Amino acid sequence: MEQFEMLKALAETNVESFMFYILATISILLAYGVILDRTIIRSGFILIGVFGSICGLFLLLQAQFLALAQLMIYAVGITLVIVIALMLTNPRMEKSQLSTAAPANQLGAFMVAVGLFMTIYLSVRPENWTLSSEPLDMNNVQVLGRALTTDYSLPFEFASVLLLAALIGAVMLAKAEKPPKPGEEDFEYSVVEDSAAEPVASKR
Amino acid sequence: MTSSVATKSQSPVQAMSYALAYAIAVCFVVGAYATGNLDNFVSMTGLSSVLESWALKDYTELLAFVLIVLLGSTVALLGGQTSIIMAVGTVGSFFALTLNQHPLIQYLSLAAVLFAIGLYGMVVSRNAVRVLMAIELMLNAVNINLVAFARYVDPVQVKGQLFAIFVITVAAAEAAVGLAIVLSIYRNTSTVDMERFNLLKW
Repeated sequence: MEQFEMLKALAETNVESFMFYILATISILLAYGVILDRTIIRSGFILIGVFGSICGLFLLLQAQFLALAQLMIYAVGITLVIVIALMLTNPRMEKSQLSTAAPANQLGAFMVAVGLFMTIYLSVRPENWTLSSEPLDMNNVQVLGRALTTDYSLPFEFASVLLLAALIGAVMLAKAEKPPKPGEEDFEYSVVEDSAAEPVASKR
Repeated sequence: MTSSVATKSQSPVQAMSYALAYAIAVCFVVGAYATGNLDNFVSMTGLSSVLESWALKDYTELLAFVLIVLLGSTVALLGGQTSIIMAVGTVGSFFALTLNQHPLIQYLSLAAVLFAIGLYGMVVSRNAVRVLMAIELMLNAVNINLVAFARYVDPVQVKGQLFAIFVITVAAAEAAVGLAIVLSIYRNTSTVDMERFNLLKW
């Protein structure tokens, strides 16, 4: 009973950390859902949940602008693009008939992931951070906007150039090619089944 | 390896009940750590001198983590459902590792967990689109880091949020180009299986 009281006190100490743990649990579980769900279209939609809970974390960290940008760009934009790509590459939306990776690979990947987490945790854990106890500025969107147009205007412009280049590149890559004229022979590279096989030249 | 073999030979109900038992065990371990019973246990059994000799004196939570991992691998070998065990163990060890820490370390640990999950998913999954999803997950984990730094280390100039904006920009560009590449590969090879993308093999 005493321990239960202690746990209750622990939960009541800080609403912020209570909310943090709820959002963190949701995001971890949904992240597992994204990578382990057998139906890939469903994991595409679970991704919205992960991004939504991370948006909540940003709100807890008082980054209002980034929270809304997260919602607009990730939860709507990128997820939409991913779902459309899923529909185009997996038209009948069947359960992914791909087998999972070999168990040895899975074990190795799990080991590497745990090792990575432990390395980061042990290097982050010592409490010699130079923390600032100042509260965050109320209108930090203003601070962000001013910094983006003065100190960081060059990276800002480069970001727009990058987005333009990526846009054009994506359109060029994904554009359907013209069907070849009938009777014209051309090479089609099919999947090479074994290393000895040559690229197959076939008539369309 | 053994776990997957064992799962096939047992009924799903049994695998599920193993996973549930593991969840309850993890709750007990985290509860024991949160209420300080684990600390008492450590000092009682003389394990604290061992921890001290490894220069890990204040790191009792590592003991809880090791306990959770050992329990998890045992249950997985016995034939529990691996995915549920992994999820429960991750959440439990995240709680055990961060309960008594500064908020900054909590956020950094959450980001590390999400990054590790993304890495695992990127290696394990064989669908190219799912690999891209895992990469988006990893980029988001990095964003959590940056925003936490902006909140707790640099609250005046919020440079972390600025860099998070640039990360989001690059992530959007990456998603567009990556999915376009996946689409054009799919058009040429009629598959999105990572193992069959061997056009560059010689």
